[in-house]
Amino acid sequence: MHEMSIAMEVCSIAENHVPREELGKVIEVGLVVGDRAGVEVDNLQFCLEVLLTSPPFRAAKPVIERVQGDVLRVSYLEVDDDRPDD
Amino acid sequence: MTVRTIEVRERVMAKNDELASEVRRRLNEARVPAFNLVSSPGAGKTLLLERTLQELGSRLRLAIVTGDVQTQNDADRLSRHTDQLVQAVVTGGACHLDARQVMTALEEIDLDATDLLFIENVGNLVCPASWDLGETAKLVLFSTTEGEDKPAKYPKMFQQSSHAVFTKVDLLPHLTFDMEQAQAHARSVNPALQFLFTSARTGEGLDGWYAFLEERVTEAKRA
Repeated sequence: MHEMSIAMEVCSIAENHVPREELGKVIEVGLVVGDRAGVEVDNLQFCLEVLLTSPPFRAAKPVIERVQGDVLRVSYLEVDDDRPDD
Repeated sequence: MTVRTIEVRERVMAKNDELASEVRRRLNEARVPAFNLVSSPGAGKTLLLERTLQELGSRLRLAIVTGDVQTQNDADRLSRHTDQLVQAVVTGGACHLDARQVMTALEEIDLDATDLLFIENVGNLVCPASWDLGETAKLVLFSTTEGEDKPAKYPKMFQQSSHAVFTKVDLLPHLTFDMEQAQAHARSVNPALQFLFTSARTGEGLDGWYAFLEERVTEAKRA
């Protein structure tokens, strides 16, 4: 149920690493989610898919690596510098 | 295509945990223990707090932050029993309190005039387990009207809590609830979990509950 809050926090972390005008060029957001992180991965994936295709993002894809443990981390962002701004 | 990869390696809960540390620092400085009451909806958090305010309110200065998804009903119920501040947090749909909300609520509470702080979380055995609020400890209320296997179903909440407070123990003669089995389930997910037994309706076990709270206040003041 709290996956939307977590997804919003993920977006806010991404926004801290990429200048606002370049957020539309983010194509991938990589996360690591542990099996004891208290997160329903399908639900988180869905929330991220919604948020990462809405402004200021445009078409970023969440890529979730599932591991053991209680880790819950944004691991990387991929930015396509050639993607034209609409 | 020029794709740039930015290494982030940032914990998703980092911001919340930073705020929780600040809450904890303020509480420690003021020597105020804070208990985060968590449970499923209807386990009796508000009733236990109402009775605690009535009976312990003359001995300890209690402050309460109470959270609800909608309505200020719990805050209204609690404020009838105390002049001490009750700060309602209406989460507006969110299923848990986060450290930022507690931090904001603390701005309205005079910690120097407070002996003990309760945070009444949103009734939910899942989500509040993931949010550190800067509390001294989480206390999970376990109602005798629930299934004995709640700890097995919601292990994270029971692992995160220092105590399980059984509520509605006055109903035990009328229920099939197996107390030993419930405790075994709880200890199987958290061997260090301590138990308290209460009925906010009849008052059964409340002496133990109050003694527990008063001890924590004494410890905090000595620290």
